[in-house]
This record gives sequence, structure tokens and C-alpha cells, in this order.
Amino acid sequence: MTITEGQTAVAAFTPAELYARILRDEPLFVLDVRNEEEFRRSPIEGRANLTTANIPYFEFVEDEDGAAARVPAGREILVVCAKEGSSQYVAGLLHERGYQARYLEGGYVNWGNFYDVRDVVTADWGRVVQIARPARGDLSFAVISGGKAALIDPMRHVQVYRDVVADAGATLTHIFDTHVHADHISGGPALAQETGATYYVHAYDAIHPIDMLPAVITYTHVEEGDRFEIGAVTITTRWFPGHTLGQVNYRLDAPDGRSALFTGDGIFLRSFGRPDLGGKGEAWTPILYRSITERLPRMADDDTLILPAHFSTLDEGDANGVFAAPFAEVRATNDALRPRDEAEFTSYVLSHLPVFPPEYVEIKRVNIGLVTPCDGTANELELGKNICALSNA
Amino acid sequence: MEETEMSIAYDQTLDVKGARCPMPLVKSRKAINELPVGQVLKVVATDRGSVADFQGWVKTARNVELLAQETVNEGGQELFVHYLKRTA
Repeated sequence: MTITEGQTAVAAFTPAELYARILRDEPLFVLDVRNEEEFRRSPIEGRANLTTANIPYFEFVEDEDGAAARVPAGREILVVCAKEGSSQYVAGLLHERGYQARYLEGGYVNWGNFYDVRDVVTADWGRVVQIARPARGDLSFAVISGGKAALIDPMRHVQVYRDVVADAGATLTHIFDTHVHADHISGGPALAQETGATYYVHAYDAIHPIDMLPAVITYTHVEEGDRFEIGAVTITTRWFPGHTLGQVNYRLDAPDGRSALFTGDGIFLRSFGRPDLGGKGEAWTPILYRSITERLPRMADDDTLILPAHFSTLDEGDANGVFAAPFAEVRATNDALRPRDEAEFTSYVLSHLPVFPPEYVEIKRVNIGLVTPCDGTANELELGKNICALSNA
Repeated sequence: MEETEMSIAYDQTLDVKGARCPMPLVKSRKAINELPVGQVLKVVATDRGSVADFQGWVKTARNVELLAQETVNEGGQELFVHYLKRTA
């Protein structure tokens, strides 16, 4: 057996290239060489034409020819591992055998931390920009109008938000979190500290629901009805408890009559936010029921654009990777929002709860300042796609 | 033979501290190939991913048994130690 100590010169591909090709639904073959457990926890997901196979790199170490024989010939192979090294190694072995193989630059960690920025609304009064983290199914937004900028649910890698605001020539004035997130680390407190913008969150979410300990970050409490002017647009806070007690939606009203609702983990395009991540699922489910049946119709018009904080599959977005739909369409197509009485709703929720990832308790601690992880720990806490929605299965 | 804190007897030691994936496993495979059948190799790594990867590897490996794994703190640095036996 040959052991390759040095790395063969093979080319890399970037997360941006991968995402662009996934959105175009090009036929792609991703060879994931992480161990089976990591692959199952966080596979690279795409659309119909993405094929993924898992052959751990140590199977190549053990039997180069045998493992290589399991890789389809005659097509491009995109090799992925956790941090790049093993995918470079396997791509090299495949390259030596005549395959057209490349490896993912920075590995899955880099894919997980890749952000995609695109406009959702452009108008005379300004723009709404979607800042997505595709691997995690996380969505955040910037509202830019009259030289001012507001962010909704910004994530941990704050540079992307600095760039969006700077490219628009705007000043960041407001940072809104729809709630204290359980699945990812907020960039809100850090951005507020460095820019002087105000960080807003509902006070009910500033108490860790399981530890019962108060936040030690600096925040300003928002509540139902609070209004903010961002240039020419108005943002109104609408309380939507259920996923968390302090979950709020932010409604945007523009001077041309257009409106949008940043729904956080309240409702998604094809589901809604699970009520059990605070450890109080039974108590919070009736509260969520009233939010969906009574509060939601009062805060969204038929043409109000719904802009949620998550997607579960890429199919929820359009061909350009924009995850937005008018409320009338969401109401008609989101099976989770189908009219139900409270008993039916409760049984629907209980029968569609996915696993409760244990790290979600810790991530909430991070988000209210109770613990501060290093980058490596933060990457591990955030590995894989969010599980904030009820499952559709 | 030397004895460890875990009382696992081993014959040789492979130091792959600082080596990143896939090198801890690649070098272990090479060292096992040079090890007499029946002997035990102690591998000392700093790569956290080696813990799960060694577990996966030995399931498909022809002649390697993973006797034990331990995490040791050495001067503030976490070391991931694997005991591998060449079985054939």
C-alpha cells in the first residue's frame, strides 16, 4: 500500500461556487469523506440534482483502490471533509487515478460559516437585504433606508453585516433580534458594542428558560407596539409568544404601501417554530396556538411579505435563493398553519416535534452572555442545520 | 512493555501531536504495518477529530483493534490517546 505523505496538487472549490451551482440545480456529485456520524448530522443538502455519497477518508487510507472503485467515474467529484485536510488527501488519490476531483476549501466548517447576500426588495425608499447562511438554513435581514440601516437577527460572523451596511453607505442604528436564538449564536450584542447601535430583544427572552438566570448582555427591551423609524420606513414590534415567551415579529411599513413581517421563529414559509425549546412545551403550546390563530391575522395583510429566520429545505426558496412569500400564499400552502382547534393543534405539535439538540440549551446561555465560547467551540455548537421548526414528516 | 494510567500495556509510541487530519490516521496505519503482529501501538494526538475517526477506521480495518482511548490533560493541552493492536 502507498501512503501519500505530501499532498498532491489538486484544485479547491469555494462554498460560494458550491452554493451557486446548487441554486442552479446543476448535477453535482459530493463525496463526503467525514466519518458516518458527522455526515449524518450535517450532510450537504441541495436540490434534486445533488447526489451525496459518504466514504470516510480512513477507508481510502485502508484500501485506496477499493475505496476509489466505489466513486463514479466520468463525472466531476467534489470532495468534502470537516476541515479540508482529508478531502485534499482523497481528492489527490482520485486525481492520481484519473478522476476530475476537487476539494472544498476550508471543509464543512467553511461551508457552515458561508453567507449569501441578496436583495429581497428594492424600491425608491431603500432596500431589504437577505443575509442567509445556507448550510444552517438561517436567514437574517438588513433594512436600509435614508442612510440608516437596521439588522434583524444578525448571526455570529459580523463582518458580513459590516460590509452590507458599509456598501450601502448607511449607518447602523438598530439591531433587532426576534428572540433569543437556541440554534445559533447571535451577532447582535457584539455589533451593538462596536457600532453603538441599540440591541433590542424582548425582556421575557433575557431570562434563560431552563437555568432561570438573567442576561448579562446589554440590551433594550422591546414590547408590543414599539415603533422605530429607519429612514422612510417604520418598523413595529408585534409580540408573538410561543416558540419563546419573548418572540416578537417586526412589521415593516414602507411609504409606497408595501409591508413585510420579519417573523423570526414565529412562522416559517412551510412550518412554524417549535414551542418546546425552552423545556416548557406543554405550557407554551396553547400560547403558540393563540399567537397563530389570533395574533398573526392582525399583524399581516394578504400581501405582507413573510420573511422568516429559517428554512428547512432549499425548495422553500426561489431559484435565486430568496426565502420570502406573501402572507396569503404562506397561509394557503403552509400545512402547519391549516386551521385546527386547540386540541388538534396540540396533538399536531406533539406529533411533529423533532429531536431536542442538547447544545441548544448552551447556545441560549451564550446568547444572553452567561458563557463565552471560543471559535472552535462555537463552530461545534452550531454544526449542522437548524432544528427550530416542527418537522413536516 | 510499559504500563499506562489505564493499565493498557503497549509496545511502541507514535507521537502525532500537532498533526492534522488525515495525518494522525495515515501515520498510524503506516506504523501498524511495521508493527509485529500482536503488539500494541500507543498513538498520542492533539486532533480532537481523531477520537471518532479511529473508532470508525477500526470497523473497516483489516488487522487493527482499538483497545482503548483516553483524553489526557498535559499542561493545559488536551491529548487524545489511542491504543491500537495489530491483530494479523
